[in-house]
Amino acid sequence: MTSIGTGYDLSASTYSPDGRIFQVEYATKAVENSGTAIGLKVKDGVVLAVEKLIHSKLSVPEANRRIQTIDRHIGLATAGLLADGRHIANRARDEASSYRDTYDAPSPLKNLAERLGLYTQAYTLYSSVRPFGISTILGAFDKEGPSLYVIEPSGVYFGYNGAAVGKGRQLAKTELEKLKLSELTTKEAVYEAARIIYLVHEDAKEKEFELEISWIGQETDNVHLPVPRELQQDAEAKAKAALETFE
Amino acid sequence: MFRNTYDSDNTVFSPQGRLHQVEYALEAVKQGSAAVGLKSKTHAVLLALKRSTGELASYQQKMFRIDDHAGIAIAGLTSDARVLSNFMRQQAMSSKMLFNRAIPVNRLVSAIADKAQVNTQEYGRRPYGVGFLVIGYDESGSHLYEFSPSGNSYEYFAMSIGARSQSAKTYLEKHYEEFADASLEDLIRHGLHALRETLQQDKELNVNNTSIGLIGPRSEHEKKGVQPEGAFRILENEAIEPFLKTMVAKEDPPAPAPAASSSGPAASGSGDVQMSG
Amino acid sequence: MSIAAQTDSCPRQPIVTGTSVLALKYKDGVMMAADNLASYGSLARFKDIQRLHPVGKYTVIGAGGDMSDFQYIQKFLEQLIIEEFTSQDGHDLGPAQIHEYLSQVMYSRRSKINPLWNSLLVGGFKDGKSFLSYVDLLGTTYSATTLATGFGAYLAQPILRKEVEGRENELTEEEAIRIMESCMKVLYYRDARSLDKYQLAVITADGVKISESRHLSTTWSFAEGIRGYGAQTQ
Repeated sequence: MTSIGTGYDLSASTYSPDGRIFQVEYATKAVENSGTAIGLKVKDGVVLAVEKLIHSKLSVPEANRRIQTIDRHIGLATAGLLADGRHIANRARDEASSYRDTYDAPSPLKNLAERLGLYTQAYTLYSSVRPFGISTILGAFDKEGPSLYVIEPSGVYFGYNGAAVGKGRQLAKTELEKLKLSELTTKEAVYEAARIIYLVHEDAKEKEFELEISWIGQETDNVHLPVPRELQQDAEAKAKAALETFE
Repeated sequence: MFRNTYDSDNTVFSPQGRLHQVEYALEAVKQGSAAVGLKSKTHAVLLALKRSTGELASYQQKMFRIDDHAGIAIAGLTSDARVLSNFMRQQAMSSKMLFNRAIPVNRLVSAIADKAQVNTQEYGRRPYGVGFLVIGYDESGSHLYEFSPSGNSYEYFAMSIGARSQSAKTYLEKHYEEFADASLEDLIRHGLHALRETLQQDKELNVNNTSIGLIGPRSEHEKKGVQPEGAFRILENEAIEPFLKTMVAKEDPPAPAPAASSSGPAASGSGDVQMSG
Repeated sequence: MSIAAQTDSCPRQPIVTGTSVLALKYKDGVMMAADNLASYGSLARFKDIQRLHPVGKYTVIGAGGDMSDFQYIQKFLEQLIIEEFTSQDGHDLGPAQIHEYLSQVMYSRRSKINPLWNSLLVGGFKDGKSFLSYVDLLGTTYSATTLATGFGAYLAQPILRKEVEGRENELTEEEAIRIMESCMKVLYYRDARSLDKYQLAVITADGVKISESRHLSTTWSFAEGIRGYGAQTQ
């Protein structure tokens, strides 16, 4: 059935007669309007990359980051409403900190993903709030090794080897599926991630963008950090070259 | 009455995933008079156009000091700005008290952005109706940020907000590459030129309707007594006279157009909205 | 809650304790020393306790007094450093900021009549500048180029002043180690709650380094002549 004009789509606390919650579906639309974000879980680490669309040439390059750090070993990338992304990141930091308080150990990502999934889900229950207009990619290196999760606006979360959210996610997923992720090193994954972001941006070529990319793993002593400038520049140069030969 | 079904409440997504109430709040910013901000390596500057509701009224304050190292210019609802700037001052004081450290400017801006985000997500509130340009100086140098009611904040080399700010933006986009190494006097002149673009046909910048806020070492046009580290200060009235004099007249004054107003619904008289600054 | 009720539940003495901490400024930065003992009353209960603790990239804190309170302090400072790290904005806390924060915590706890029972030295090096300061369970703070807590304030501080004051910009790391060693030795001879196993921390432009445990060689043959010691019967 169509949602518009029925009155069943005005609140997160309302089901339609066929059992859908339209407000949550609309929230996912906010995600689809945003630049692509991807995550790769590989042999010895995790790489996060974001296609950051530049809305003004007056903005300062490398400021206004969309990949955030949650704990030493956890990174987070969002697609959707930027301000919602900051809200969820702040919540994630509180959760990670509270885990440390209780157990005197870094939070396993599985645990954090579950907590954030519950938090996100709570915003789909009431008419007094709206759902989060974001999909969140979480990457970490914890005691289990590298780890990658995605949380959707509905509150569902799954673990992934390769994840993509935002406008170009279909193409990005297709590209991720071609990779032997479990055999890549983190460094190799940086090159692949850069290539994929450049590739998916082809569909929105008229807009300027900036690649934002971070990693966690053996290379960084299991700390979430931006990829070093020289490596990123090299990865971008290779990505541009790959674009020429694509197809 | 409503433009569509999905715009009466900020906790409702439209089928396209938009938040109409937030978008309308962004319109409230455009009702306020313009403010311009720009920075060089050594200085950050704010310039704003003040309005008055009539001959007998004073001009609305457009700039607020937050701390020695940070200040703001506003466009939109002045009362909302007071609430938020008060909060910023508390954040700045708390950083001084707890750590004996001037709060990093980006954290000051993020703090109000995070506050504003909540008002876009919960029922019974409205998004803030004011936008800020924030300038500051900290360990990582001079900064300029824009804060908006959507809960977003961005760092810029130069930016403008408020009524007709697009014209100022066009000027800034044309010249921003010169700003980084510009002297303070040149920086302010660029700012005034940008601000001038937002004026209505028959108006011009003068000592009464213009405010200049700045951070960084003293200008030759400023009176002595500025702290050597160049704390945030607001220049008004006769203090800005020498800066206004540095302005270069526009080359091609556009032919006088019919006096039809283009500043929106509340353009009568001085084009002011009671709550807007 | 009334003040009386609060005082009823608050600790009025430390339980497991560490003794003196010493620190001095030298040519390249700051050096700090503390032994590895945690006492339970007069019992030498734990002999492998580290009382020098790094906080972030530029700072070391050294603690005397209650060791569980010190562990609590380490924990909340760790959270603070993580908060700072996760901001990822190029700003981080130096020794001066950490000292200010600590003194706020210590003073507010003492004002609730529930102090964290420690005396702490905060030493560090950031942006080409050394930092060395003191804070204790009362929230009292002061700075000097040589500092010592506990018994060290009486036994070691005079030696430190004599050796260091006026020579802060000349002293080499080797000389500083020698001074620290001689002070630790005096403390081991005369402070009955001390140990001959200790660690040194140096904070310089290269960051924080905390040494492995070092041993003090001492001689006790003179003790035979002391009345009331050893095998004497009278």
